[in-house]
Amino acid sequence: MAVRREKAERLADEELMPLVGRKDPEAFEVLYDRHGGAAYSLAYRVVGDRAAAEEVTQEAFISVWRSGARFDAARGSVRSWLLSVVRNRAIDFLRSRAGKAPKLTFDDDSVLEQRPAEERTEEEALRHETAAELRGAIGKLPGEQSKVIELAYFGGFSHSEISRILGLPMGTVKGRMRLGLEKIRGELAEGLA
Amino acid sequence: MNASDHNRWSEDLAAYMLGALEGDEATAYERHLEGCERCQEEMRWLEPAVQTLPESVERAEPTKQLRESLMAEVRADVREAESRSAPARPRRKWFLRPAIGFAVVALLVAGVVGYEVGKDGSDEGGGGSTIVRQVDGLTVKMVQEGESGTLQLEGVGQLPSQKVLEAWVERDGQVEAVPALFVPDRHGHAETTIADMTGVDTVMVTEEPPGGSEAPTGKPIMTMSLN
Repeated sequence: MAVRREKAERLADEELMPLVGRKDPEAFEVLYDRHGGAAYSLAYRVVGDRAAAEEVTQEAFISVWRSGARFDAARGSVRSWLLSVVRNRAIDFLRSRAGKAPKLTFDDDSVLEQRPAEERTEEEALRHETAAELRGAIGKLPGEQSKVIELAYFGGFSHSEISRILGLPMGTVKGRMRLGLEKIRGELAEGLA
Repeated sequence: MNASDHNRWSEDLAAYMLGALEGDEATAYERHLEGCERCQEEMRWLEPAVQTLPESVERAEPTKQLRESLMAEVRADVREAESRSAPARPRRKWFLRPAIGFAVVALLVAGVVGYEVGKDGSDEGGGGSTIVRQVDGLTVKMVQEGESGTLQLEGVGQLPSQKVLEAWVERDGQVEAVPALFVPDRHGHAETTIADMTGVDTVMVTEEPPGGSEAPTGKPIMTMSLN
């Protein structure tokens, strides 16, 4: 039997997970209410289509619900884990929709614009343009570093695919990824100092 | 492993963390990572940077229909699971094993005698009843409304790592687990719902590992007779 909603709301994410593992719908609902927005936003960022983003978000949360509590607290927060599940689902969706190597036909400038042209309303175009400018610490990265990170994380491209898209040696791609992450990490550390 | 070998793996770390290694490469990297403390340390350092990425996206709001559809699917799962388990629910298999069954009843009896130290008050009316008692240092409130009840505990201390609370009920001399596990909040309040209070004589709470147990595995933190 489920714990009551108001009780579940008082629990930390890590306390909710065992309840979700025991198939408690109230606990799961609270988990969705806390993180569903971020999950959907991430899915939308990756797949670029509202209906598809909702499909991805629902599939991701249902997989969490049905798989029980596979969350490992030693490996990070519940939110990070949930978002990684969503991200993987979204990338799988992109790949299944476009084939194994979906976006290699795009050129460098358009590779981040993955949606069909008819879906790009003015509002969406504005959102997408803004989203392309990663906020905070990420926004401070040199373009060459943010591009490889975006292509990998949000586009689902492997380092060898990125190498072909950008016409760069693989070592350069991996080096830029590393430098970019180190710079973000440094910014975060400075922010905490 | 020499420094050159490590640098070769270290070059792949960011690509691995961003999901940009191919399948075989990722598998090989994970094998290396298991035995390389230096790479593990580097990964721990960079992890917050990767976690920033999903948080940095422009916020978009999902429709209410997504939530409704998701929860409809979840509740359908619950109903299906309940209907599948309904014939077997009244009597847990573990209870049929005499040794365990005896031990559980003994725990309950001992608990009632040993832990219940007084009855503070009760209230009945309006189709429901409330019992409040001090039991083994806890304030226990049992609220019954119709067939269901809510067990509320106050003064519960922090649970040991990897432990949750599991409630048990005894009716007709047999003990059943209450499905929903629960944990205390930071104020020491813990609460669970008992769906069917019909014929329940005694309620007990134990600490159990995550996921709960089929039978109580430890000394109860609270045992309360409802009679």
